[in-house]
Amino acid sequence: MSALPIVLRVLISDDDPMIRDALREVLEAEPDIEVVGAAGDADEAIELAGEHGPAVVVLDVRMPGGGGPRAAREILRHQPGTRILAFSAYDDSGTVAEMMRAGSVEYLLKGASNIEIVAAVRRAGTI
Amino acid sequence: MPDSARPPLAADFRLLVQGVVDYAILMLDPTGHVVTWNAGAERINGHAAGEIIGKHFSVFYPPEDNLAGKPARELEQAVAEGRLEDEGWRIRKDGTRYWANVATTPLRDGNGALRGFSQVTRDVTDRRAAEKALFESEELFRLLVQGVLDYAIFMLDPAGNVVSWNGGAERIKGYAPEEIIGKHFSVFYPPEDNLAGKPARELKQAVAEGRLEDEGWRIRKDGTRFWANVVITPLYDDNDVLRGFGKVTRDLTERRNAEQALDERRRLLGHLVHAQELERRRIAWDVHDDSIQSMVAVGMRLQLLAGRLSEEHRATMDKLDDAVRATISRLRTLVFQLRPTSIDRHGLVATLDDFLRDVVTGWGVVPVLHHDGLTEEPPTEIAITIFRICQEAITNVRKHARASSLDLYLSTVDGGTRTRVVDDGIGFRLTEMPPEPMEHFGLIEMRERAETAGGWWSVVGTPDHGTTVEFWLPNPGSAGEGRS
Repeated sequence: MSALPIVLRVLISDDDPMIRDALREVLEAEPDIEVVGAAGDADEAIELAGEHGPAVVVLDVRMPGGGGPRAAREILRHQPGTRILAFSAYDDSGTVAEMMRAGSVEYLLKGASNIEIVAAVRRAGTI
Repeated sequence: MPDSARPPLAADFRLLVQGVVDYAILMLDPTGHVVTWNAGAERINGHAAGEIIGKHFSVFYPPEDNLAGKPARELEQAVAEGRLEDEGWRIRKDGTRYWANVATTPLRDGNGALRGFSQVTRDVTDRRAAEKALFESEELFRLLVQGVLDYAIFMLDPAGNVVSWNGGAERIKGYAPEEIIGKHFSVFYPPEDNLAGKPARELKQAVAEGRLEDEGWRIRKDGTRFWANVVITPLYDDNDVLRGFGKVTRDLTERRNAEQALDERRRLLGHLVHAQELERRRIAWDVHDDSIQSMVAVGMRLQLLAGRLSEEHRATMDKLDDAVRATISRLRTLVFQLRPTSIDRHGLVATLDDFLRDVVTGWGVVPVLHHDGLTEEPPTEIAITIFRICQEAITNVRKHARASSLDLYLSTVDGGTRTRVVDDGIGFRLTEMPPEPMEHFGLIEMRERAETAGGWWSVVGTPDHGTTVEFWLPNPGSAGEGRS
């Protein structure tokens, strides 16, 4: 872990500002992670992803503008190398399946500990 | 010796016979000629004694009987059999006919030689007319009942076994008379009514109140259901002994369907249920999108904070963080109870699948969802009701059934959804059931949910062979209504 050659560039996207801010703080507390942007809806996520080319995008599932599934598909269409990590309060299999179909590599349930969140972001970045 | 005690003389008998006016009593000689004639004979027959004595008795018979040799044959038969009773038309002096009951007895002297015949004749024309009228009216009535096709009209014996069956009964219920006569009428009731003892209760009530009217689901021979209006009337004989019951049943399925579309009360109830579900959904989404998110953000910040604190304060912070996680978990459960949010987005099958996997598997039961027969997902409002009834039925399986398998079948039938929840547990043991099983185990609640939505619900249990909860809910109006 300590020998990660480069800093992991991460974009976060959540329509809830409290989650957005908390997530930014959690990730920025890690020396090997850089948060390159924070989007409040799907359109902004797609736009910021195009602008910054992050390695990992942490996507909320229910957001204005078509939600996580649309954002994931659009981002992957333009930047197929991007890793999508779904981060959602929904735990039903329908929603999980929807995000996995849209191309996310992992589905993390809101309520996971900060340690689990950071680990999931690193995992996504090293796939 | 007082006068009244002396033995009667032949003259007394003659007076007695002469005076009888209700019976023609006469004597014939061995060849059939009239020898004596009484007042009754004159009244009934019209001939005076002087006119008829010496005439042959064949004058009393109509021409067709004389042509057939009936008078002579009757005398021969009376001799052969010692007595003859006959009923038939006879002719009065004025040529009119009367219906006669005639008893002919051969008379023999002390040496056994035939001395002639006695004939006692009654005019039973009125009785015969009354009997015939009664017979005809009964026959007409039987034909009338038999011919009615819109009503099942049949009789039960006092124990409730079918003893008669008309055309309407055959048409509505599907049984031919020979298939159903002798069977107990409880076969017409759905299992849930039999479980509740409804057939016997209805007979009892009919006896107590003189009549019983009921509306409810009944079962045809082929197992399908129809909505019936039933009137049961106890039938008593002249001595007030219960002879059985008359049962008149109408198939109101169509009328009921039509009524349902209009029934204001039901409509309001539907609105209420709808409004309640909307409200629950709103609260569920609010809790989900606001309260849970806030708690998640708080939890993340608490953990960040904990990392910056000294060891002694970290324990306190960890406890706080545990409390936040427990709250998030409780809020998730609350949301699910309020409204399984995935039903709105992913439908019934996905939601039930999750429920079985997440909740039931933990009980050591192997649940399987069979939905091959479901060609159309029910609209959300109906899906919610189906889900709630399944939840209730499955809770019963957990609490009571001691089952090892649980199968849930969904299929699209008759413009609606049929659901069966089948377990392999201990089934119903009626002897161990509380006196009112329907009031326990939420059975009434499940049934009311189904009926409020315009469907039906039933439960069948066999000791040691599991329990099946089955229900059907119609899809209202357009399919997909309420989906967003």
